[in-house]
Amino acid sequence: MDNISTDVLIVGGGPSGLSTAIALADKLKQKGEERKIMLIEKGNSIGSHILSGAVIRPQVFKDLLTTGEFDGLPFDSKVGADATVKLNDDGGETTLPFHPPYMSNGGNYIASLGQVCRYLATLAEERGVEIYTGFAVDSVVYDSDNKVIGVKTKDTGVDHHGVKQKNFQEGTTIEASITVFAEGTRGSAVKTVINKLNLDAGKNPQIYSLGVKEIWKLPEGSVEAGSVKHTFGYPLRDKEEFGGGFIYGLSEDRVAIGLVVGLDYQDPSFDVHAAMQVWKTHPYVSKILEGGSVIEAGAKTLPEGGWNSIPKYYADNMMIVGDSAGFLSTPRLKGVHLAVRSGICAATAAAEALGKNDTSKESLSRYEELVNSSFIYKDLYPVRNMRAVMQDGMVVGGLKMGVQLVTGGACLMVPETEADSVTTKKATEFSEQPFAERFADKLEYDKKLTFDKVTTVYYSKAMHDEVQPVHLVLNNEEQFNSSNINEYGLAEASMCPAEVYELHTDKKSGAKSLRMHAENCVHCKTCDIKSPNSGITWTTPYGGDGPDYNMM
Amino acid sequence: MALTIISLMKQVPLPSEMRMGDDGLMDRTKAKSIINIDCAYGLEAGLQMKSENPDAKLIVCSMGPPSFTVSLKTALSMGYDEAYLLSDRKLGGSDTYATGLAIATMLKHLGYGKGLNEDFIIVAGRQTSDGDTAHVPSQVAENMKIPQGTFIETADLVDGKVHAKRIIEGGYQMISLPLPCAMSFTPTGIDPRRPKLSGAIKARSSEITVFSIDDIGLSTDHIGLGTPGESGSPTIVSKVVTIKSERAPAKMASGHNESELVSGFMNDFKAGKNTLEAVEKKAKKAKTRDEDLRVIDFRNGAKGIVTWAEIVKGQISRPSLELLTPARTLANELGNDTKVTTLIIGKNVGDLAKELVAYGADEVIVVDDDRLEEYRILPFSEVFAQVIKKNNYEIALFAATTAGRELAPRIGVKTDSGVTADCTELLIGEHVHRNKETKEKVVYAPILESIRPTYGESKLATIIGFVCPQISTARAGTFEVPAKDDSRTGEISSFEPTLGEEEFVSDIIETVIGEGGMQGLFEADIIVSGGRGTASDGMQMVKDLAQALKDKGLNAEWASSRVMVDEGVAEYARQVGQTGKTVRPKVYVAIGISGAVQHIAGMKESETIVAINSNAKETIFHNADFGIVGEYQDIVPELIEKVNAGFTFGLESK
Repeated sequence: MDNISTDVLIVGGGPSGLSTAIALADKLKQKGEERKIMLIEKGNSIGSHILSGAVIRPQVFKDLLTTGEFDGLPFDSKVGADATVKLNDDGGETTLPFHPPYMSNGGNYIASLGQVCRYLATLAEERGVEIYTGFAVDSVVYDSDNKVIGVKTKDTGVDHHGVKQKNFQEGTTIEASITVFAEGTRGSAVKTVINKLNLDAGKNPQIYSLGVKEIWKLPEGSVEAGSVKHTFGYPLRDKEEFGGGFIYGLSEDRVAIGLVVGLDYQDPSFDVHAAMQVWKTHPYVSKILEGGSVIEAGAKTLPEGGWNSIPKYYADNMMIVGDSAGFLSTPRLKGVHLAVRSGICAATAAAEALGKNDTSKESLSRYEELVNSSFIYKDLYPVRNMRAVMQDGMVVGGLKMGVQLVTGGACLMVPETEADSVTTKKATEFSEQPFAERFADKLEYDKKLTFDKVTTVYYSKAMHDEVQPVHLVLNNEEQFNSSNINEYGLAEASMCPAEVYELHTDKKSGAKSLRMHAENCVHCKTCDIKSPNSGITWTTPYGGDGPDYNMM
Repeated sequence: MALTIISLMKQVPLPSEMRMGDDGLMDRTKAKSIINIDCAYGLEAGLQMKSENPDAKLIVCSMGPPSFTVSLKTALSMGYDEAYLLSDRKLGGSDTYATGLAIATMLKHLGYGKGLNEDFIIVAGRQTSDGDTAHVPSQVAENMKIPQGTFIETADLVDGKVHAKRIIEGGYQMISLPLPCAMSFTPTGIDPRRPKLSGAIKARSSEITVFSIDDIGLSTDHIGLGTPGESGSPTIVSKVVTIKSERAPAKMASGHNESELVSGFMNDFKAGKNTLEAVEKKAKKAKTRDEDLRVIDFRNGAKGIVTWAEIVKGQISRPSLELLTPARTLANELGNDTKVTTLIIGKNVGDLAKELVAYGADEVIVVDDDRLEEYRILPFSEVFAQVIKKNNYEIALFAATTAGRELAPRIGVKTDSGVTADCTELLIGEHVHRNKETKEKVVYAPILESIRPTYGESKLATIIGFVCPQISTARAGTFEVPAKDDSRTGEISSFEPTLGEEEFVSDIIETVIGEGGMQGLFEADIIVSGGRGTASDGMQMVKDLAQALKDKGLNAEWASSRVMVDEGVAEYARQVGQTGKTVRPKVYVAIGISGAVQHIAGMKESETIVAINSNAKETIFHNADFGIVGEYQDIVPELIEKVNAGFTFGLESK
């Protein structure tokens, strides 16, 4: 057995984990306590698995950092012109004369969240936090009372069939007084903890959106840095697909664009990646991209369930922060400020718990107190029904949303929230025109403006060691073949933005089967969320594998 | 004394990022760095030996800028005990000779290589992805005066000796090496392990010792950027030019499904390929040299060209015969009755001497010795060095075969000269040099210009050296075998080398040669080659297509790109490309090959190139005469059916 121990272990080097680390180191220093804080990250470097819009509300960083450090934050540009635009199917557009509630971006900054994280990591290391990148968690370790006592990293040097190779290296077990799960959206380790400890009892299921993002380099002078444009409408259908596009002007003639779509859609052939390509062909978007070329691309899900979908985010010896807990404001389209704030709250609770040598759930309930008295509550509670009513579409949902603004969030006729894995309809039961038919003429990609999934994978620089067990696990192979393939027509092939899943039809027998290209995976977690029958479990591949984002 | 395992390691730019620049060229400044792949296999080989010999100490050494500490830390995380970095601005511009010398000096400074009865093993990578010479392990070994094994896949310590599997053309050898020794590893052995978290934690607090050249007592005489007539590396890069494609645009097959695509392709093929408007090559500019410049003939009386005739299965190997083509051209350019001499070493090889004369050698020196029946680097390099020292040649040429690539650098160290690897063009030229102090411009002439493609960039570098013999290895398949003329006459002499027992300390336990392999590839009329895109079925369809062609009586072979070798799907002997074989068949069928510059370098001389790839944007189509865009699983079976029905790519069956 390969064992190490630490006082606090933070799993994940995104904004919430790094904020936890920084705030905790500061609080312990104030108290004059020497404690070991260790942070592990599955990406090969900090930021390599980070993908976000991102327009960031900066205020929270003032509470986390010194003034000098705050001034050094590598934001790209301050938000200037800010527009919300309805894209019409006929190629035209209508600019809204006002901002939808919560969507004003005055005082905010456009940033690469990955760059911000790299900066935060240097500040954490300066404070004595030990950061190890390229290590993925395999499993959570419990004591005999089912209390979390740490995690074990992945074994490496194992072939497809699980046979140990000569270069086998056993994973390291890290025992910690407190483990903070900061894995980001749909954390694979925290998911097992939530299930085992029933932390989501009485809560709505978490629901998600998938965002596909590209960064483009445009001809000199054609980008206004700081300009923010949000679109809704084309190519999404009201009531069917909830979401919209974003176009953020960056410095150095770059622009970050993306399409974010709720995964509660019903069409088994719906394809966010393809929808993003179609979106780019709308004249409003294609005009902006004229003469440019893509330099980076990727995809990631985001938890959109809001307040009602947040599980109990602490238990004995553990806390959950950031997207892993679901701290994201859907109406604002923002989660970074909540991730940071949750990290600060968790750090405060951890410092107090370590101080009194009591890391029980009673002691850590302080974390919940702090969250409830912070702006996380103020940001999320009043809009707790917002995402749910949007299932009624922009018009009816928009009206209900307006009601909530008056009532402080209460609303009648809130549709029930279902997990994204159950909303997809079987191919035969989906009576409307499927996505693939709707845009049949738009799905030939020109490789200039529009790209196939493999190209997106190329621009994400995703890499996976071929010698390892497949990290996407079919939970029930028989059911997958009979239902996911034959009834849903392998909806995974459409939902996955990275062409991990391919439907193979034998030319002679006509038999359909799954071909999996796990090495394409960009770690967005869509299949784990959306696969019908919850057919797929996303587990970590070897640490360091996956995309290698630079500016996302 | 406990065993020490010393791993030599280099940090290189991430190969996948080397093509990422906006202009399609490599941008080294932005590229992330990794441990050179082959070196990572060397590191793992060291760790494997340690697992069998738990008392062994593991140390890792590197030479380069301070940023290399990142990779040294990784080596420590993997399980190495100590790390050393030789880092000094004065080392900038060092060639492989200087690098080998500097590393050996560092190792001696650390206390290794001072006497013969030491227990240490040097493990290194076969070659680096940014240099691709494979020289340094040989040069370090010769500088340390220890035996070596290059192109090793796996190695074990058995009764105090190293038993190693050495990859050679078409097969492998099991060799036995005494301690101390040096080995270089191919990326086909045991995959490098991932560091453990506990290892990374240990490495975090480990120190890396950084040496300057003064620390290890290394002077600037033979390192750093070469300055003719003064100091520094024996060779320098004198010129770099961009390679331009000389192929007309490919004819792309059209069709809605695989059978339409394949019949479309067959129609295209029958109609013939596109041709470029013949652009007349500009006549070489007559050299205009300022008549007043002082000409320095740095050869100091060295004269003549010597080549090595490698013997494989009792025959002179084809690449060794090819070598006589550039040798003859160079001799003619040098004029002044410059002779081409070929050295042949072996047992009962005298009869082959006449053949060498028929192929163009003016003189053949035969070294016939029972102990030299099989090629072994130690005695062969020693014989060669003795012949060179006796006859004072100005140029020595080797075919860049597995043997040639290790022999040339070892001889280079023995004769204090630099070596240029894998050349595709050899010329006689001149070099204008301006002395920094006196400001005097002088011309070094005549000088050997060795031209080689450089990795990652579609560029050709010209390397020159100011020490004789000027040594180069020529890529096999690049030059044509000269016409045989049995009426030619030449002088055949013999040479008796002085060889001590120390030259025979390593043994060949057995040699296993498989079917096909290198010779097959060079002689095939049609080569079916598979790349990354054919991984899903382990290249089975590639092999099937080659077999179908063979069944039709064609001289067909299958080959692969580097990734498939690295993946272990194909053996190294079948690798086509810059670091594998250069082939020039009548028809080259590239399947699922993206067309990395390195691969193109190995097949672009093929008469007709057919590319099959699912991605129409792949570079391979810019280097092909015929293209089919489609999934290989769909296209190839269709093509096999057509071959079975009689389609032979326009080739005659034998």
